[in-house]
Amino acid sequence: MPVVQTAGLCKVFRDFWRRPRVEAVKDLNLEIQPGEVFGLLGPNGSGKTTTIKMLLGLLYPTKGRISVFGKPPTDVAVKGRIGFLPEDSYLYRFLVAHETLDYYGRLFRLPSRIRHERADRLLDMVGLRHEAKRRIGEYSKGMARRIGLAQALINDPEFLILDEPTAGLDPIGARQIKDVIRELGRKGKTILLSSHVLADVEDVCDRVTILYGGQQRAAGDIGDLLCQHDVTQITAPRLSPKTVEELRATIQRLEQRDILTVSNPRVKLEDFFLKIVEEAQAANIRTYGARKGGELPEFLQKPAETTAKDVVDSLVEASTRRVEPLPTREPVPMHAPATPASSVIEELIQPQPVKIAAEEPISQPPTPSLDSQRLRKKADLSVIDELLAGRGGDGKPEA
Amino acid sequence: MKTWAVARQMIAEGIRMKIALVFIFLIGMVVLGLPFSISGDSSLTGAVQSFMSYGLTTAGFLLGMLTIFLSRSVSDEMVHRQIFLVMTKPLPRWQYVVGKWLGITLLNAAFLASVGLTIYAMIFYIRYTHPPADDRFDEAELKNEVLVARHALPFKLPDFSQSAEQEFQRNIEEGVYQDVPNFDPAKEKDRLMQKYNARWRVVGPGDFRIFEFENVLCNRSKDNTVQLRYKAQVSGYAPDEIFRALWRFGDPYKGTPVYEIPVRHMVDRFHTIRVPADAAAEDNTLMAYFYNINPYPGEPQYLNVQEFRASDGVEVLFVVGTFEWNLFRTLVLMMCKLMFLAAVSVLMVIVFSFPVACLCSFTVYVLAGARQFLAEALDMSSDDFATMFSSVKEFFVQSLIHIYDMLHWVIPDFARFDPVESFVSGRNVGLVWVLQAVSELVLIKAVIVLGIAILLFHRREVAELSF
Repeated sequence: MPVVQTAGLCKVFRDFWRRPRVEAVKDLNLEIQPGEVFGLLGPNGSGKTTTIKMLLGLLYPTKGRISVFGKPPTDVAVKGRIGFLPEDSYLYRFLVAHETLDYYGRLFRLPSRIRHERADRLLDMVGLRHEAKRRIGEYSKGMARRIGLAQALINDPEFLILDEPTAGLDPIGARQIKDVIRELGRKGKTILLSSHVLADVEDVCDRVTILYGGQQRAAGDIGDLLCQHDVTQITAPRLSPKTVEELRATIQRLEQRDILTVSNPRVKLEDFFLKIVEEAQAANIRTYGARKGGELPEFLQKPAETTAKDVVDSLVEASTRRVEPLPTREPVPMHAPATPASSVIEELIQPQPVKIAAEEPISQPPTPSLDSQRLRKKADLSVIDELLAGRGGDGKPEA
Repeated sequence: MKTWAVARQMIAEGIRMKIALVFIFLIGMVVLGLPFSISGDSSLTGAVQSFMSYGLTTAGFLLGMLTIFLSRSVSDEMVHRQIFLVMTKPLPRWQYVVGKWLGITLLNAAFLASVGLTIYAMIFYIRYTHPPADDRFDEAELKNEVLVARHALPFKLPDFSQSAEQEFQRNIEEGVYQDVPNFDPAKEKDRLMQKYNARWRVVGPGDFRIFEFENVLCNRSKDNTVQLRYKAQVSGYAPDEIFRALWRFGDPYKGTPVYEIPVRHMVDRFHTIRVPADAAAEDNTLMAYFYNINPYPGEPQYLNVQEFRASDGVEVLFVVGTFEWNLFRTLVLMMCKLMFLAAVSVLMVIVFSFPVACLCSFTVYVLAGARQFLAEALDMSSDDFATMFSSVKEFFVQSLIHIYDMLHWVIPDFARFDPVESFVSGRNVGLVWVLQAVSELVLIKAVIVLGIAILLFHRREVAELSF
């Protein structure tokens, strides 16, 4: 059974006189499978947050159906299985960090001992154990964000919804959140990640849906969407100019093409930054901010529970699953005229067979970790083109 | 447990909110500062009564305002969107509403208990620091008339219906009413009854009256006392402002001892006479005879008339409980009003944003507090025989009266449950009264208001504000 399923989902915001003002989500059909790290992409005002709010029962759909774990999102039992990190942390400024986690733990009816234990572990994880007695109002935005993540995990959720999880975080925090998402994904948790930081989504998601103007424009496996099938990348130890020339000649001879670029790869700025900070932390330089976070707490490390009912459900579902993709996942053509930049990329990603000697060690783009065969769908790439071309966003407020 | 979690969070917020601190500071200033500035009528009893009256009334009002401001929490959570996190947890919406109400109620209970304890402590401070006028008298008066819980009984007025009927028949026979337009016999009989009553209440020089009290359920031992309270409402010449008379208590026909108590009282004041309790008969009746004579030989006798007005009452009081329990029940009554107000405030912040909600809650608070006054004012604004469509003014006034009547289904009359006057005068704040307040203000009206709040909140899209 899918964790999330929507059919023809619409949300219209009305003014005081009930006149339609904004159609934030239009005819959205979405399906998120258990264990999937699912990305919800789109520029500002594309309906990501509105969709999430409907999934959480904070907004009611104007039209269409929505189910989470097979039940309406307003169902109290369903909410017990969800963790949610909103786009801003929305925490009580007058509570200290530990009280905050304790309060949310109480709302899940966790016993006192477990609440305290988990609060401590989570504060360790987000690197704020030493600031547990400070009021949230005194925290920086990034520190509050870390507490926001901790509260989202206090109930060991089966389904985690993260809305712009890295917004306001320093690179350490951002990396840590991505690590947590990856780790939880490996443990079988279902994660819905909404972001317009494309690098984040690319780093952690198995599958994405791209929204624009409240509508689904593209959906599919991230490997499929981003793989450049007409380019081959080889990574090797430093080569002498002579070897490079020989390689160039060999490729010219075998493939009748020239090497496009030869360069020394640069380390990512994120990795460089993290190295500097780690050195400072090793030198015990004092900070009132967040420290290096710890490991994923033990209670989050156990794999997602699979009940007998789930097994039966999955078997039944497998036997009844239609081979052809859902109508909603069909590629949706973009109607915007192609710009020169997008035309170039379009041309580059046209599938062209490349012959490569079988013996050569070849570095391919990483393949998705999830059962990609099952989930893989043909994607419409025109929206990515448009986003890369710097367009997108209709100026409407984010709902 | 989840309701309790929300309530706890509300309490934490209430304690840490600056607005709550301001109100607590103000209440503290009043309760702790009054004993150092109050003098009353310069007597110890007056000082204590003034302190209790001002202290409790002001604390009650400020706690009412604090209740309205504390409910801001719900509105704040919506505006600052903390509610997004709360409502995405497995918390039923009704538990959120009830939790908020419970949190405000518990905070109020804690503040009110602190006020009660402080008042109790400060009474002792006043007792031991007030400049003595007449130490023994002042202390005894305070102990017997203020720091007690006394049950009050009105006297049984003689039945004048027969006399009124006889006079009515006589007037009919004599044709007195022949020329009276729109003659209403029932109203005329009522007028005659009132005339007889008023006449009975006036005691001329040398005359006497018998007051009979029933159900005097006190310990009828000689060591115990019952109190008779009356006002020396004197008309006539009294140059020394002193009224002299004789009271006699007991019923020799029922075998009780008879006590004669001459009184020399300041005119136009209430006075209390203490009588041994064995003056009450076994059938729990107490006879009191008032003689408008001067029992003090050698002192001037003025031909004054004593009037026992209905509004002033003549009553017998006897102790039925302790001051501490009376204080507790007074606080419970005040608490009931705050619980209703908390429910109203929570409803308002669910429907409106904070400033509007605050104004609406305050309006309900005022309407409930001044219900009788407003009802009378509206009634007086309307002409007796005018219909709703007689004039624009009548339409407006009578519409208001109808709306006001409808609102009274929900908005209670706080004055009916105001215990301060009784408490300050040492009267028992009865358990029945407390139970009435609990059932009407809390179990019925607060529950109805909370029910409406839950219904509205259940239908509300909590995230819609963000758009």
